[in-house]
Amino acid sequence: MLVEIRNKTPKGLSSTVEAPSAGRLNGDQDRIRFQSVVMPHLGDAYALARWLTGDRADAEDVVQEACLHAFRGIGSFAGVNARAWLLTIVRRAAYAWLKENRSAALVMVDDLVAIEEKQSKQCAASGEIGSQTPEAALIAKADAARLESAIAALPLPFRETLVLRDIQELDYREIAEVTKVPVGTVMSRLARARRRLITSLATDVP
Amino acid sequence: MTTSAPADHANLLVHAYLDGELDPAHALEVERQLARDPVLAAEHAQLEGLQRLIRELPLESAPQGLTRRIEAAIGMPQAARWASHLSHHPTWRALAASVVLAAFLASGSTWFALRPSPTATVADMVVANHLRALMAPQPADVASSDQHTVKPWFDGRIPESPRVVDLSQQGFPLVGGRIDVIGRVPVPTLVYRRRQHLISLSSVPSSASAILEAVPRAIAGYNIVSWTDDGLTYWAVSDVAPADLHSFAQDFRAVGH
Repeated sequence: MLVEIRNKTPKGLSSTVEAPSAGRLNGDQDRIRFQSVVMPHLGDAYALARWLTGDRADAEDVVQEACLHAFRGIGSFAGVNARAWLLTIVRRAAYAWLKENRSAALVMVDDLVAIEEKQSKQCAASGEIGSQTPEAALIAKADAARLESAIAALPLPFRETLVLRDIQELDYREIAEVTKVPVGTVMSRLARARRRLITSLATDVP
Repeated sequence: MTTSAPADHANLLVHAYLDGELDPAHALEVERQLARDPVLAAEHAQLEGLQRLIRELPLESAPQGLTRRIEAAIGMPQAARWASHLSHHPTWRALAASVVLAAFLASGSTWFALRPSPTATVADMVVANHLRALMAPQPADVASSDQHTVKPWFDGRIPESPRVVDLSQQGFPLVGGRIDVIGRVPVPTLVYRRRQHLISLSSVPSSASAILEAVPRAIAGYNIVSWTDDGLTYWAVSDVAPADLHSFAQDFRAVGH
């Protein structure tokens, strides 16, 4: 039965954990702990992976990889915030996956800020966005599909910050912990992410 | 007209205000600014609209196949996997509503996955109940934010319906209620929410949990607060921060007393 299920494991996953007989390190206690610490947050883990990779099947691969890491490291989990702990591991796995499969998605944040400042100067000069567009009304009319694709189009650092805050409802301190940046950076990324979404919803009228 | 990207300090504070991250003094300051600055107020309204829209996006849960694959990959024993999948199955909800059956099952193998030792303490059992609720499609059998809907639901299902209080003002909206089994006794459990985290609050007749046991502050990463009022021992379990859980306990005890 075990083998039969394991054969369905998606391709590209190198790591698997030894069978129960090898359980010197990964004993029953670890499995019980994993069941109670990790499994309740699997939905959150999958959601984050899906937003980061942009694909359901890839998200499953990433979550499975992350869960194996989590299982190996379950002994070192301090027992404070299981969700933030798991999301940190999922994020790391997603970045590793992106690096391998979509290196173009990993734009450096410094470059991003430079690009954005240039764009906003151009916009200001041409008066393109600054004019009083009834953005609020357009946003109200935006449907879920457009919003989802606008979020998916955000550069990775902005997207992950927005998803962790507005979809997964982590607080700033938790997001700083998961994404390994100071709270000030979380705040500015969040502001930029939301500003981009508003602009994109207000301008990309179908 | 360069209001398109105001990433200045005041703007960041509006975001933090929207996210409930400001202390009362700063929140008040932002409210004053919003009242006198129409540009900032428009920005706030936009952001609020955007946030509402994002929160209305449909949530997608992890595929069942993924759960099974992960459990297989870490070598989860069959019995534990069976127990955890039972809680996913819709008929389990019907079973849970039947107190007699639930009490019977509680004495059997459904505890296996979560019980750390053969002599599970009340604390272990309330954490196990909370976890099973998190893994089930719904954390409550009666889902309502109205205390006047939740309280009557318990009538006729258990001997005494619990005290249900409205704590939405304190930041703990009611999610609903369910019946848990502790030992072999069916007990009422209320479900409250703190942001995205759920809090399970079970009340056990003190006589039924008379065995004195040291209450651990946390099990498996879930914080626990327990207290006794009016002959009932209350157990609050959640993954919110310990400070939040303590203020929840204080608020619950304060309201209606």
